[in-house]
Amino acid sequence: MFIYDKKLQYPVKVARPNPKLASIIISQYGGPDGELGASLRYLSQRYSMPFDELKGLLTDIGTEELGHLEMVGALVHQLTRNLKDSQIEGTEFAPYFVDHTVGVYPTAASGYPWTAATIAVKGDPIADLTEDLAAEQKARVTYDNILRLSDDPDVNNVIKFLRQREVVHFQRFGEAMQLLREKLNQKNVYYMNPAKDM
Amino acid sequence: MQRNSDHSGKEGRLPAMAPLANPYVPFQLECPPRYEPRTALVRGTLFPGLDLPFMGMVNKEEQPVTPLTELQCLNFGIQELALYLDTHSDDQEALDLYRNLQKMYKKGREVYEKEYGPLNHMSHLDGPYRWLDDPWPWEYAANREV
Repeated sequence: MFIYDKKLQYPVKVARPNPKLASIIISQYGGPDGELGASLRYLSQRYSMPFDELKGLLTDIGTEELGHLEMVGALVHQLTRNLKDSQIEGTEFAPYFVDHTVGVYPTAASGYPWTAATIAVKGDPIADLTEDLAAEQKARVTYDNILRLSDDPDVNNVIKFLRQREVVHFQRFGEAMQLLREKLNQKNVYYMNPAKDM
Repeated sequence: MQRNSDHSGKEGRLPAMAPLANPYVPFQLECPPRYEPRTALVRGTLFPGLDLPFMGMVNKEEQPVTPLTELQCLNFGIQELALYLDTHSDDQEALDLYRNLQKMYKKGREVYEKEYGPLNHMSHLDGPYRWLDDPWPWEYAANREV
């Protein structure tokens, strides 16, 4: 089960509202490489994982990603607080605003709503962990791109934190892959699917 | 137990004869160098060897010392060690630190909850029902300076 802790993993404190910036950061809430997809990918892949290390790591990283989802939501919320209509009119934020006002909705920056089509659960541990390695890299690049586009230090501190977590998660998934391989047929790790045939 | 030859902890370990058709990430060596919990939270990792910022954009923003940021630092150190231990369960030094931080978290949590109310519904506190008290974590006002 999950229990909600009434605190963020890392503080979010954005002094200056900036709807334009909110309209790109929303992508890490509900975009193709965002935190919602990350948490659901890992928490869903857990069930078919054959070994304790893999079950534990996917649970722990998937849970951390839910905390990151909350941080990205907090960024979007604080960037869009106390806005006058004149601060919205004619900005990149206007198309989002007309549909969602200042609610936080899981969508890509492009406007495409969150979709499970951007995550994968293949039910084979080597395939799923390889997907996870790629997912962490894609999320990192999205944070790199946000850093290129944002000059607000309050926002960038949070983005740098989230970006660094992707690097650490990539490392752990890579190690998990090696732990998995050591338990498989050493002559041919693709001999069978350990999620089904062991 | 394997000791780091590289002081920065930026080197890892691969299988001696790595088989073909496999993607590899070097294993982080045991007993890696570490940041203090407060630095770790700001840098986004406990491990200098994994601290790889984009275009030199290093996070140097120090968080104010409050009961909340104390908890966040300890919580973060525990989380980072949990992921490390998931793939390095034999590293006794990391396990000892994980347990020390847990003890400190338990104490810090009591201090925090006495002042600001329950962190979750499992917190047992006397007095009125304080779960609904503002601010909520995503609000700007959640960053109380003490």
